[in-house]
Amino acid sequence: MKTGGHPSNRRLRIEFLVSLAILLAVAVLPAIVKNAYWQGVIVVSMYFAMLAIAWNILAGYTGQFSLAPATFGMIGAYSTGLLAYYYNTGFAIGISAAIIVSGLIGLVLGRIVLRLRGPYLALTTLSFAEIMRLVISNSIDFTRGDLGLNVPGIFQDRLPYYYMMVLVLLIVQVGLFYLLRSRAGLYLRAIRDDEIAAASRGVRIVYWKTFAFTLSAAICGLAGALYGHFAQFVSPELGLLQQTGVVISMVVIGGLGTMVGPLIGALLVYVASEFLRDVGNYQLVVFALLVIIFARFFRAGLWGILLALFGIRAPRPVAVAPAAE
Amino acid sequence: MLTLDLLINGLIIGVFYALMAIGLSLIFGILKVVNFAHGEFYMVGAYAYTLSALALGISPWVSLPFALLVGLLLGLVVERLLMRPLYSGYTSWGVMRDEYAVIVTFALSIFLINIVDKVVGPYAYKGPALIGISRITIGPLAISGHRLIAAMVAVTVIIVVALIIRYSFWGRQIQAVSQNRLGASLAGIDTAKASAIVFSLAGGLAAVSGALLANIFNPTPDVGVFPAIKSYVIVVLGGMGSVPGSIIASLILGVFESFGGVYISYQYRDTFGLFILILFLLFRPQGLFGEKAREV
Repeated sequence: MKTGGHPSNRRLRIEFLVSLAILLAVAVLPAIVKNAYWQGVIVVSMYFAMLAIAWNILAGYTGQFSLAPATFGMIGAYSTGLLAYYYNTGFAIGISAAIIVSGLIGLVLGRIVLRLRGPYLALTTLSFAEIMRLVISNSIDFTRGDLGLNVPGIFQDRLPYYYMMVLVLLIVQVGLFYLLRSRAGLYLRAIRDDEIAAASRGVRIVYWKTFAFTLSAAICGLAGALYGHFAQFVSPELGLLQQTGVVISMVVIGGLGTMVGPLIGALLVYVASEFLRDVGNYQLVVFALLVIIFARFFRAGLWGILLALFGIRAPRPVAVAPAAE
Repeated sequence: MLTLDLLINGLIIGVFYALMAIGLSLIFGILKVVNFAHGEFYMVGAYAYTLSALALGISPWVSLPFALLVGLLLGLVVERLLMRPLYSGYTSWGVMRDEYAVIVTFALSIFLINIVDKVVGPYAYKGPALIGISRITIGPLAISGHRLIAAMVAVTVIIVVALIIRYSFWGRQIQAVSQNRLGASLAGIDTAKASAIVFSLAGGLAAVSGALLANIFNPTPDVGVFPAIKSYVIVVLGGMGSVPGSIIASLILGVFESFGGVYISYQYRDTFGLFILILFLLFRPQGLFGEKAREV
C-alpha cells in the first residue's frame, strides 16, 4: 500500500530524519567529550534511550501502558549475565539469548494482559515487575541475590562500547521507522486510538497487541544485555520501579508517541541528571516535578514544543465521546 | 495456640490495610483511576505523626489528629492541582485519560519520596507508642499494647467513615457520583466537590494508617511502597470501588499473609498478594464482591 502522502507519514519522516541527525551528533560527540567518565554517562543514557524507545512503542504507539520496561531490561541483563556466569558463553550468544528470553517472557505477559486496559494493565505489569525483582533478589543460590553478578566485558576501552550503542540505537530507529510507516504501524496506532473501531475494520487486535508487547520486551532485553556487558555488573536494582519511573519521565518530557521524544528525553534527562547529582542528588525530585508539569501542561513534550515553534502542530488526540460509566 | 496467634495478628494487620485501601477504592469509584501515590500519603502521615511528636514533644494523641489533618490537606491539594483535567474538559482528555492519571500519580510518588529524602533525610525515625504498656495479655494471647490500641483506633475510624459514606448528605452524593458521574451531575450534584472530598478523605485515611503504624514500621522515605502495593491487591480482590469489599479483602489478605509467611514461605510472603492480584485481574476482574462492569 502506498502511504507516502499521508500527513502522519510526513511527520514521521521529519521525526526520523531529526532522530538520525541526533544520533549523528552523538556519534561525533567523542571528538569534543574526551573525558572517559562523561563518555560513560552518554553510554548509560543510550541504554535508557533504548528502554524509552521500547516503552514508547507500547505506550505511545499502541496505547498499552506497561510499568515493566526496566524489568525487561533486568531480565535481559540477567540472561546474558547468568549464561556467562555458569557456562562462560561469549557475549554474542549471551546477547542473542537476552533478546529471545525477554521477548518470550514479553510474549507470554502480552498474551496474559491482552484484555486489560488503563489502570488494570498498569497494576498487572507493576505486580509482574515486583515479582520478577523479588524472585531474582531472593533466589540467592542461583542469582547471588542482591549481591549482583559480575559480567565479563566485551571491549577494553570506552569508545567501542560507545559506538556499539550508537549503532544499535541506529538499527532500532531505522527498524522502527519502517515498521511505523508500514501497514503494521497503522494497525498499532489504530488500536491505540480506538480498539473497538480498529477491530471492526478487521485489524487483528490480539496479534498486533501481542506483537507490540513482544517487540518492546525484546528491545528492552537487548538494552539490558548491552548495559550488563558495559557495566560488567548486574543487580536486581536494574528492575526497581524507580528505574521504570525514570524511563517514563524521559518519554513524557521528550514527547510521548513520537520517534524523537524518547531519544532527546533520554539523552537530556540522563546527562542533566549527572549535573544535578553533583549539585546534591536532586535529580529525581526535579524530574518527577518536570514530568508532572509536562503531563499537566505540555502534553506533547519537548518535541511537541519544538514542532510548535516551527509552526507544525502536534498530533491532536482524536476526540471521543465521554466514556459511558 | 500458634494458629489463634496468627489469626489475630493477621486480622490486626488487615485492619490497617483496610484503612489505606478504603481511600484507594473510593478514588477508583469516583474517578476510575488508580492513585499510584497512595503509599506516599501513608508515608507523609507517618512522618507528620512521628516528627510532630518527637520535635514538639506533644502527646501522640495530639499528633494523630495532626497527621490526619496533613493527609486531608495533601489529598485536597493533589486533587485540585493534578486530578482536575480528568473530569473538566472531558472530551479532549478522553484519549490518554488513564495514562495521564498513571503518569502523574507515579511521578508524584517519586517526587514525594525524594523530596522527603532530601528534606528529612533517609534515616528511620521510631514513632512514639500510643500507650506505655508493652504487653497486654488477653486469655492465652499476648499482644503489644500499642498494636492493640492502634487497631482499635483504626476500627473506630473505619466505622465512622463507613457511616459517613452510607448515611451523610455528602456521603450519599459521593455514592451517586461513583455510580454514574454524568447522571449525578444532571441531578445537580457538584461532582468536582465530591471528587475533592474523596481525594482529601483518602489522603487523610492513608495518613492515619501511616501514623498508627509508625511505631511498628518506622518511617523512612519509601516506607509507603509496600503498604501501597498491598492496597492495590486489596482493591482488586475486593472489587474496585467497593468499600465493604475492600474491608473484607483487607482482613483476608492480612490473615492469608500471616499464615502464608509461616506455612508457605517467609522469603516470598510479599509476592503472594501480587500473584493474587494478577490471578484476579485475569479471571475475576470484578473482584470478590464487585459488580461486573457492563459495556454498552
